[in-house]
Parts: sequence; C-alpha cells; structure tokens
Amino acid sequence: MRFILRRAGFFVLTLWAAVTLNFFLPRLMPGNPAIAMMARFHGRLTGQALASLETIFGVNTHQSLLSQYWHYLGDMATGNFGTSLFFYPSPVGQVVRSAIPWTLGLVGVTTILAFILGTGVGIVGGWRRGGLIDSVAPPLLVITSAIPYFWVGMMFILVFGLKLQWLPWSGGADLAATPGWDAGYIGNVVEHAILPALALLVTTIGTWTLTMRNNMVTTLAEDYVRMARAKGLPTRRIMLDYAARNAVLPNLTGFAMSLGFVVGGAILIEYVFNYPGVGYMLLQAVENEDYPLMQALFLLITLAVLVAILLADIVTAVFDPRTRTA
Amino acid sequence: MRRRRIFLTGAAALLATALTAALAACSSGHGSASSGSGASGASGTLTISNEQGTQWNCSFNPFNPGDLGQGVTMGQVYEPLMFVDTLQNAKVTPWLASSYAWGAGNKTLTFTIQQGVTFSDGTPMTAADVAFTFNLLKKFPALDINAVWSVLSSVAQQGDNVTMTFKAPSVPYFYYIADQIPIVPEHIWSKIANPVTYADSKPVGTGAYLVSPCTAQNITYVANPHYWQKGEPKIAKVLYPAFTSNDPANTYLATGQAQWGSQFIPNIDQFYTSKSKDNHYWFPPIANVSLIPNLTVPGLSDVAVRQAMAYALDRDKIASVGEYGEEPGANQNGVDTPTFSAWLDTADAAKYNYGYNPAKAQSLLTADGYVKGSDGIYAKNGQKLSFTVINIGGYSDWVASMSVIQSELKAVGIGLSPDNLAQTDDLAKLQSGDYQLAYYAQTSGPTPYYEFRQWLYSGNSAPIGKQAASNWERYNNPATDKLLASYATTTDSATQHGIVNQLQQVVLSDVPYIPITEEVGWFQYNTASFTGWPTPANPYALPAAYAYPDMGQVLLHLAPKS
Repeated sequence: MRFILRRAGFFVLTLWAAVTLNFFLPRLMPGNPAIAMMARFHGRLTGQALASLETIFGVNTHQSLLSQYWHYLGDMATGNFGTSLFFYPSPVGQVVRSAIPWTLGLVGVTTILAFILGTGVGIVGGWRRGGLIDSVAPPLLVITSAIPYFWVGMMFILVFGLKLQWLPWSGGADLAATPGWDAGYIGNVVEHAILPALALLVTTIGTWTLTMRNNMVTTLAEDYVRMARAKGLPTRRIMLDYAARNAVLPNLTGFAMSLGFVVGGAILIEYVFNYPGVGYMLLQAVENEDYPLMQALFLLITLAVLVAILLADIVTAVFDPRTRTA
Repeated sequence: MRRRRIFLTGAAALLATALTAALAACSSGHGSASSGSGASGASGTLTISNEQGTQWNCSFNPFNPGDLGQGVTMGQVYEPLMFVDTLQNAKVTPWLASSYAWGAGNKTLTFTIQQGVTFSDGTPMTAADVAFTFNLLKKFPALDINAVWSVLSSVAQQGDNVTMTFKAPSVPYFYYIADQIPIVPEHIWSKIANPVTYADSKPVGTGAYLVSPCTAQNITYVANPHYWQKGEPKIAKVLYPAFTSNDPANTYLATGQAQWGSQFIPNIDQFYTSKSKDNHYWFPPIANVSLIPNLTVPGLSDVAVRQAMAYALDRDKIASVGEYGEEPGANQNGVDTPTFSAWLDTADAAKYNYGYNPAKAQSLLTADGYVKGSDGIYAKNGQKLSFTVINIGGYSDWVASMSVIQSELKAVGIGLSPDNLAQTDDLAKLQSGDYQLAYYAQTSGPTPYYEFRQWLYSGNSAPIGKQAASNWERYNNPATDKLLASYATTTDSATQHGIVNQLQQVVLSDVPYIPITEEVGWFQYNTASFTGWPTPANPYALPAAYAYPDMGQVLLHLAPKS
C-alpha cells in the first residue's frame, strides 16, 4: 500500500511539472497563431486580414502570463480546452474526439498485438534455443525492425494497393461510406486498417522478440528453473510460469510506455496512408501555434504515459515481490 | 495564392521521392467517374484531389479564412454578388447581382440584385440579405477579412438595389466587395449571437451544392435540386477528400481516382500525364515569388546594389532547377505573364533590359564605387555586400531556388548565406523587418495593380520592429503612394494602364524587390468523364480547387460526358 501511495505521489508531481511545461513551452515559440495562419494561407489573405485574425484568436489580450497560467490550470482540471485556432471555430474537445478513435484503434491494437506476438515468439525461441523458430525468426525480425516504417508502408501500398489492388491504401474508410455502427462500415474501416497495421506490426514486432528471447535465455540459466526441471514439472509450466513470467518483467515498462505513446499517434503512418489520427494533428498544432489544441494533446499524451507507467509499476509489483520494498 | 508545396522534412522527404519514383514505374489507372443519380437531371460523381494539409473540421462558416471555411463554401455553397475573373483582366460576370454601376465620382457603388434566387431552405434571397451581410461585417470586424469597412461608410438597400457608399473613391475594392464576400441569409444569421464562432455545420446558402454529409475525411457535396440557375449544376455529386500530404493526393490523381487536382506534382509528365491521354494540366501564373531586400539595411539601401542583383540572376534557370520548370521565371516589371501580358510595359522593360547579365551587374557595382575584396566580395567604405537571406526550410523548391540564387550572386561578388526557418518564424521576421534579405510571395488580384499596391504602398509598411502588412521591404515613396491612390479613383481602362505602366517604371528603376519566379495556380484535370474545364484558350476562372469563389464557377461549367 505504501508503495502504491508513493508511486501515486510521484505521479501527481510529474503531472504538474508536465502540465506547467506544456503551458510555457508553446509560448516561447516565435510568432503567434494569427501570423501562423497568415503563413499557411499567404497570398490568399491580404495583410489587412491579420488584424481580423488577431481579433478572432484573441492574440492581443493583455492578460499577464501568471493569470493566464492560473486560468489554464483551472481549464485543464475541468477539461475545458477551449477553441482550436487551427480548426477554428471547432472546440478542441470535438477536434480531438474526431481523431483519437482512429489512433487508438489502429496504433493501440497494433501495439498490443506486436507485444503479444513478439513476446510469444521470443518465449518459444528462447525456450527451444537453436530450434527452427529460433534460427529463423530473430534474424528475420532484426531485418524487418531495422527497415524504416515509411518504406515498408510505401512498398505495401505499391504492391498490395496499386499493383494487386487487394486492399485500400488511403484514408480510414471509403469516401462514400456513411459512418455508423453497421457491419458494412466497420468492415470497411477494418479493411482500410489492414495495410497500415501490417506495416506497423512488421516493423515493431522485432524489438519485443529479441529482448524477450534474450531475457528468456538468461532466465533459463537461473537455479530456480533448474530446480523446476529437477522437480519434474511439465515443460509448459516451466516455460510460462517459471521462465517467461520473470523474463517478461523488464519488457513490461517498455510496453507500458509504448502504450502511453499510442495516444501521440503515429505521424508517419498517417502521412503515408493518409490515415486520420492525432499524430499529424499534433504536428499541425505545433506548426500553427494552436496553443489550445497543443495543450490538450500534450496533456493527453502525458496522462496516458504516466498512467501506463503507474500501471506497469503495479503489475511489476504483483509479479515480482522484491520490487514492493523498493 | 496558397502554395502547394512539398512541405516535408527528413524521412518524409525521402518517402516522397521514393514513392514518386516507384509509382512512375508502375503503370495503372484510367480516369472514370462512377455514375450517380442526382436531382434535376444532374449525374456523375466528381472527386477532387487537393492537398490541404489537414482533415476537415466540418465547419462551413464562410467568413473563416482559409481552406476550413471560405475554401469549402465560397462559390459552391455561398455565392458572391459578381464573379471577377483574375485570369481575364478582371472580367466581370453577374452572379447574385445582375448589374452594378459606379456613381458620385466613384464614391458609390450600386448593385442590382437578381430576382428569383432562393436559399437552399426555400427562402427567397433579396437585396435585404445583401445589405444585412455587409452590415454584419461592420458589426463584427473579425468577419471582415478583406477589410472592406476600412473604405466603406454605409451600405443601404432600396428595392432590388444595394448601394455602397465609400469614404473616398475606392475602385479596386470592387473585387473584394463583389467577388470575395459570401451573401448569407438574414433570417438565419441575424439570430446567431456570435457569428465569429458560429460553426455553421449545416450551411444554408444560394449555391449550386449542398453539404451532405461531411466527415473529417471527406466533404460530400450534392446538387441543390432547387438551384436558381436553370439546368445547373450538371454534376450530381462532388467528393472532396481531405489529404494531409502530397503523395496520397498525387497518387489518387495518377490512378484516376480523382479527376480534379490542385497541387504540385514533381516530374508531372512522367507521373501524371503519361498515365492517360485524358490527363492534362495547366498552371496559370498569378503572383511573383521575390527576393525581398530590407531597404533599411546598409548596402541593400543602395539602389545600384539592388539593380546589380536583378541583373545577376538567371530567373529561367532558377525556375527550372528550383521549380522543376513548373513555374516560369519572373520579370523585373513585376507583371505576371502571360496572365497579365496586356499590362506589360514592354518599352520600359526594353530600356532597362533586365536579362541575365553578370557583367553588367559587376560594372554597376564598380561604377557605384564598390571594390572587390580578396575574398571575391564587393565592399564600399568597409561595408561588405554579404547578406543573410531568410527562407522557409520546409519549401524544398524554394530552398533549391535559393541555392541557385546564392551561387549566381557569388559569381558577381555578392555573398549570400541562407537561413532556413520554420514558416511562422520566417513570416514573423519578415513582418517585423528582422531580416536582411527574404524570399517570399505576395498576394495577387485580378489586375497587376493589386500586387503592386501590396508591395509598394507605404501604408502597408511599418517601422522596423512593428508588423508590416505586406510592404515588408519598407519601401516609402510619396510619389508612388500618390500613383497608387490615383488608380483607386478611376474606372477608365486607359488611365489604369497608364498608372500600372508608371508603377512598373518604379519597380524597374528603384528595384524595391526582385521578382524571381511566377507563382502559379496548380491545376490537373482528367477529360475522360467530364467536359468544360478551364483552359488557356478559355480561362473563365482560376482553375485551382482551392481558389474561391472560382471553384463554384468551375463546378457550374463542368458537365458529365454523355
């Protein structure tokens, strides 16, 4: 219990620090949202439009930084993120809500799949060292995880999308499809997610396999594994309950962090496959100095990472009693 | 016009090139529009591929600047009073107004509003709606993007007429008032407490298209069955997908999934036109991308140095290296050709003969007392001709152009060190005058006057440290100001031409900025299923899908092939 309390205290402190940074960093950037808007649409907007934009965005407010900060803290606590400047006049909440399900669905599911599959292959590979899986999978996965994601994505588009025309390669669903919870639309969305998900899987699975296999090899040399064998326990039980359970611990925190970062989206996936999501949105928010949107997204990412790490700490404590005293 | 550029960084840049190369090798695609049944005899589905760099937010408030707002409503959903063709010397065609007349020494402008126009909810559109719209902009200055109320004093309705009264003669504002302001229904907008933050997710306009439905990834426009212009529109459905990057958008065009494109395609002949005999493109020039000297910087304040720079640059080479030859080189007259060829003052251009002439550049510098130092850079009184130039690092074409400029200026003894910045940073420095040289483009209009005014009018300038609206070089010449003001008082074409000729002489002799390449409107189109596209022979509208209200005009001209 004390362990969890201490962890929770740490959580709150980190959150406050992150939220404060989140407020000050964007305001150190040169320019302002109105100038950013002009930059984006230059030529379309005459110079006179700047005054109108500054009025819209409330750029020339004469609030002190401290009182802005105070308001900001209050808004963050109540979830009032304001109006997006880039997607003006849409509220930030609505903008984020339109993008986050795509990211969670694609990147979230793929990250979990990559971890489960990668770890599974690692366990088997480490257990049957020198076996078929062990001699084929790790070298292959080293190669695939070293290929840049966007290249794999491009090749998939080229081969499966354009040459063979098996799968759609652009967007999250057909343009003509009407969003809804019907089988037709869901099937369409799944179909569109296959190529980006496969490309992501191929390039991320290797890391989990390699670390898991190596952890397994080290763990298998431990005395308690030899003890289990000597006791004549079933192979399955030794592999999973004795070796894998301990070998997976170092990977858990890494997994938790990558789960947290899921919320940040995956810019390159969205870029290559023209897939909707928060990654590209975040880039846009930064480039266009859309403070409200930026703050909401950073807060979301920070929260997700911190919560994931807290959970990983707790899970680790459950699996490994030694950490509870730390 | 907004740039359609390969706005990429690092890995993504690599990706663009690689995918382009890969696709160029892959032959596929035949443009065909699927059929669709629409109201009032309209048929076919047209898909637009225009990289806006964002998902849609499904807000259709036509007073919000840029693609999210004006760009997706002006012309096709909401309509202006008159259409002014920027490619045909400001040719005016009626839209919601049937005619207009200047009066009281060009201090009043009266529009006669069409009869029988209805909003998409069935309510008739009348002169009262027009007057309401203009007075709405007065009440909420944030909506007044074109700053029309800086010259207007009142707008009043009388029967079918709406009369605008100006503080002073303001002929050039006709373009903004007639062509750039969407007319909104009074019975809806008068009830909106704050029209600035109004999302307008279900727009009610007079236009040929209705929005149904909109998602973050695609806007679907369907033909308005009760559109007031008989027999229009002829296309039943228009899909406008959101593209965040060039590559998917370009591939969509090359594979024939989209029929109307509006962005930069590298190596376009191989990537696009070779894929189908029905694929075409046309890039009409509309504005000047220029090298902008900060006239308050020692050295650059010297006109001989600026003239030398203008002679030292091979603009056609810069255009072919930096822009893949898809944008033409500019001229020192500052007049975009062939778009504004009728305005070009060829006599004065011949007098100065600003061609690529490095020898002349050096002789100008020597005559002005500059001496070449041991490092090959000219100097006078300890002032070396060595400058930094700010540029947008994300615009790979501009960066490539700059490296040509750099080596050409080096050849005539002028040092240049490029400083590639993020676009917001770049523009902030440009506006506040915190730079030595810059590379940027200016706003265009239906005649060359508009761009000249942006560059040269001292009212668009500001002291260093303060934001200048568009006269970033800080040019200040009372005689030029007077010239610009005199244009605003006349509707006579000959007089206007005379004034624009004199403005060209200003740019030729003073070289306040150095036009390098001509910014174009990006336009690719497929003729397999649709006819009626704008062409050089019939430039009835600026054909880029991001141009408004021109997009609405193009949609009214297009028809499915039977």
